[in-house]
Amino acid sequence: MSSDTMFTQDSAAKGQRDREQAFALASKLAAPVKLGHYDELRDASGTLRKPWQTFFSYLGEAGIAGLPQSSETIERLIQQNGITYNVYGDQQDQTRPWSLNALPMLITPADWRGISTSLQQRAKLLNTILQDVYGEQRLIRGGYLPGALILGNPGYLRAMQGVKPLGGVYLHVVAFDIARGPDGRWWVIGQRTQTPSGLGYVLENRLTVSRVFPEAYREMRVQHVASSYKRLLESMTSAAASIAEGAPRFALLTPGPYSETYFEHAYLARYLGLPLVEGADLAVRDDKLYLKTMHGLQRIHGLLRRLDDDFCDPLELRADSSLGVPGLLQAIRAGSVVMANALGTSFLESPAVQGFLPAISEYLLNEPLKMPSLNTWWCGEIAAWQDISPDLHTQVIKPTYATNAATNFQPAIASLLNAEELEAWRKRIGSQPDIYTTQSYLPFSQAPTWQGDEISPRTAMLRVYAIASGDGEWQLLQGGMTRIATVDPHIVSIQSGGSTLDTWVMTDQQVDTYSMLPNRTRLPRWTATEQLVSSRSAESLFWLGRYTERCELMVRLAKEALVLVSTNQQDSLPALNDAIGALGRLHGLIPEGTPSLTKSAAVFGRTLIAQLIQKGARGLLDNLERLEFSLKAVRDRLPAEHAEIAQSMKQMLLHNTVHPALVGASHAAKSRTKRVSRVAPRNPIDTIEVLDVIGIQLVALVGFQSDRMTRDLGWHMLAAGRLIERLVNLSGILVAFFTHAAVYTPRGFETLLVLFDSSITYRTRYQRQQDISALMDLLVTDETNPRSINCILQALKGEIKHLPNGDVLLDGLPEFDPHEDSVLVQVEMVRALGVFAANVSDDISRRFFALAVDRHFAS
Amino acid sequence: MINVEVEHDSQYTYQTEVELAHHLAYLRPRKTVWQQVLSTELEISPKPDCQTESQDAFGNHRTFFTLSTPHAALLVRSRSVVTLTDRYARFDASQAVAWEEVRDALAYALDRPYVAASEFSFLSPYVPRLVELRAYAERSFAPGRNLAEASIELSSRIHEDFTYSPTATEVHTPILEAFNKRAGVCQDFSHILIGCLRAMGLSAQYVSGYLLTKPAPGTAKLRGADASHAWVAVYCPQAPGQWLELDPTNNVLAGSSHVRLAVGRDFGDVSPLRGVIRGGGDHQLAVGVTVQVLDAAPVHQPIAVSAQKQTQSQSSRGQSQSQS
Repeated sequence: MSSDTMFTQDSAAKGQRDREQAFALASKLAAPVKLGHYDELRDASGTLRKPWQTFFSYLGEAGIAGLPQSSETIERLIQQNGITYNVYGDQQDQTRPWSLNALPMLITPADWRGISTSLQQRAKLLNTILQDVYGEQRLIRGGYLPGALILGNPGYLRAMQGVKPLGGVYLHVVAFDIARGPDGRWWVIGQRTQTPSGLGYVLENRLTVSRVFPEAYREMRVQHVASSYKRLLESMTSAAASIAEGAPRFALLTPGPYSETYFEHAYLARYLGLPLVEGADLAVRDDKLYLKTMHGLQRIHGLLRRLDDDFCDPLELRADSSLGVPGLLQAIRAGSVVMANALGTSFLESPAVQGFLPAISEYLLNEPLKMPSLNTWWCGEIAAWQDISPDLHTQVIKPTYATNAATNFQPAIASLLNAEELEAWRKRIGSQPDIYTTQSYLPFSQAPTWQGDEISPRTAMLRVYAIASGDGEWQLLQGGMTRIATVDPHIVSIQSGGSTLDTWVMTDQQVDTYSMLPNRTRLPRWTATEQLVSSRSAESLFWLGRYTERCELMVRLAKEALVLVSTNQQDSLPALNDAIGALGRLHGLIPEGTPSLTKSAAVFGRTLIAQLIQKGARGLLDNLERLEFSLKAVRDRLPAEHAEIAQSMKQMLLHNTVHPALVGASHAAKSRTKRVSRVAPRNPIDTIEVLDVIGIQLVALVGFQSDRMTRDLGWHMLAAGRLIERLVNLSGILVAFFTHAAVYTPRGFETLLVLFDSSITYRTRYQRQQDISALMDLLVTDETNPRSINCILQALKGEIKHLPNGDVLLDGLPEFDPHEDSVLVQVEMVRALGVFAANVSDDISRRFFALAVDRHFAS
Repeated sequence: MINVEVEHDSQYTYQTEVELAHHLAYLRPRKTVWQQVLSTELEISPKPDCQTESQDAFGNHRTFFTLSTPHAALLVRSRSVVTLTDRYARFDASQAVAWEEVRDALAYALDRPYVAASEFSFLSPYVPRLVELRAYAERSFAPGRNLAEASIELSSRIHEDFTYSPTATEVHTPILEAFNKRAGVCQDFSHILIGCLRAMGLSAQYVSGYLLTKPAPGTAKLRGADASHAWVAVYCPQAPGQWLELDPTNNVLAGSSHVRLAVGRDFGDVSPLRGVIRGGGDHQLAVGVTVQVLDAAPVHQPIAVSAQKQTQSQSSRGQSQSQS
């Protein structure tokens, strides 16, 4: 440490003492590793390894003692940023917070140099294999790779045979899972070639952990990761050079919100500045790919895709896929779109391929493979199966074709099996050997992690990424994602409850501090895409605006109805009860056939309370869920705070609890709620309290949007949706209050003001006098009251004019005279505006949204 | 040698207009030593905005076309004339080698040369590997038995044991279901035979095409009354062209009555016409196929009468079928 020289002898001695105390504490807290595993933390003599000495000396005793707090901070940051992982891709509510341990995985410069050069070679080798397989097929004909592992693997796509990808790059990004054996050497465990996941989580892990240990992170010369993301875009850009005039336009193709890593897709899209699109947003015309946007079809030159091969084109691949783009393969074959990665690379993910790589490396690259794979036997080669069968107990048995459900199975660690089970496996393998591959069992190294009150070793596997640099070479992202096992030292998997570590690659050179954050660099080409709002994003934003406003109105209306239920019925009149009853039915607060408030306030109240949490009844719960869905669909465009707010409102409604993520966001809300875990039959008073909290959250949601979102087309769609919903609803309320004559009762007059959120303004201006024309002035014509019909209308006109060719949408605007005196004429005007707003909504969806769904048939 | 003309009409009528349609057709016959293609034309109405002809990885001729103007009906008519030679006229099945010899040659081993036909020994989307099929097939494959004779017997057994029934299955019925029912159409019979052969470690192809039929004695041949057909080719190095074509539906070798459109691993590789449409609602499909020896002129009759009509719902992934 160069700064040491600045210290006096005394402080140097003190520094030394501090360090030793820190080491002692860390060593005391650290549990031993499991026998036979390499210890990332300590050497054979039990001394802390050099990088860990440095790390703990920056933490100091206090920092080590503060690890429980650091862990909590990390958990909170993850909650706040809404970093999630869907455990089961197809179930909506199975998202759970991302799991990240406080301690980083430390990689020394020497280790990294080895990893880096070895995996660069591998990435190049894999790309060369793909060139051969989709070209001359010398490897198959020469016996370097069995046909079964290519032509017999569903991951090989005949549709791509003979097709050269633009720029010759099949693998723009490839991920390797590597681990350290007992002697400290690194081994390749597996490779991900199709749509490697984790790049978004790598970033989030880095942003989170580096904030918790800023000093250690800065001083330990940890490489930054941002430049690799830029390189990924550069790699695609250089591949697209021949097809794009000017800057090429890319999009990130996601299977959608039900995908297990959807968070990451949205996160990456936002970080890279790419529109996040689903198959239905794209269309192929004349063998070119287009994005359906609010401005019509816009050419797309490349897709960073997170959609599996099979689903990409229902015309030629899986016919039942509704996630893909019909004709995409034709566009690819026509050379008009860059795919990152190319389709048809997933057969390289089979563990069986690993066994053939050493010979292929010699054959294709004329050099030995630099980092070994686990010893691998593909049992479909009968000699290999006969060879390994007696030693099966030393092996891990894996599926050769994991992507095919019929031939997939849970891998088995044979050393954990008894003799009988082992024999059963031998039989099973013997009956159709080709679908089985065995690999030597390797005890992975164990990395230190913080677990409650101790530093506990966990089995670790490191995922690193090689990114094409456009010149036929690959560069490693200088970092990665270390995945750790829960407790079982054998299984490392996020799905089965593992966790992750930020991975610090230290350098003895200059730290690469490139940052992609917009304030650090000029990225002129993204400004052009900023206006590129896909039809689906537009639709989701529009409906997000409508559902937010709708929920707010429902909350407000339900509260007023419950106030009527719980107060003395004497000063309420049937006229108001009828108006509230009619509006309640219209907005799904009570089902048809509910007895009126006048007839039985108690039944009315109970029905309304029950209906609030009723699924499938167009009630508040349904609308909150739709809001949540719209929100997820445009996650890439919204401020991060949105992530958990919808879920937290639902939780509040169903369980009367505040979501932990929101504790910081709305203290006021929290202090007003009792933290009760479950409240089944609620009374009106409690329900009003719950509705209050939800109301505040809805306001917060709108606040985040108004405060944080740039005023682009997406924003105008969102705002237009909100204003249209507001105009429709308030117009309906006003008309109902006149139709049922509720406005002429003192209580009804007050209620109408509350529903327009204008009672305070009214009271300030007119005190307690109840005057209908003053009321109409404030609620209908006033240009300074943001809730007046006139004000909403003006704002809506403003938003609509920003939409492409928006003026046309205003053609049917009815006559609105703010100086009209007659109350009845005013009510008619308001009614007409409500109808107009509903029509504009239909026009907008016809004009801008992609409504139809593709269907497939064959004969 | 015989000249055969095939006319194949597919007429789609949509309930509402289709905005955008992508189609893929395998309707032009494949050229082989035993099948000369004298002419082939494809008429599509309305005219596609984009149409490309190419060869797939198996050497089949395929046509992509796109319609991006709204249309309420689509007619795809292919008309081809081929000259057929009886491929197996001089083939002596007893000359084939033992089936295990072929099986071993197809399997991967370090010192063994690569056999391209092994591509058809692996499972494929419509033909999974099933122990039931292996058990069924084994009865014909005694150790050391001649491959051609064993395959022909297996094909005959399927013909005997299975009932031809157009209502028993549809295009996407899994083969195990058809196998358990012992019923189906040519597609099922072919998939089952392929599954049996592959279960024995052999290579088998799905052949899509047409069958030349003779009208019943005393009646004139009706136009449009024929159908698409499918059969199987098993890899047999001693057979002409190294493949032995078996038609389990009719219990014959595919000689000079079979017109070949395309070969693949299974139906999914070579379905005659498929598409993805946007809009359209439910659709009706009328298929008319006429296969005739070129010199004899048949009685003309409009396709709608003899054609099979089927209404399909949106949710059932509308499949239609017209095969024998």
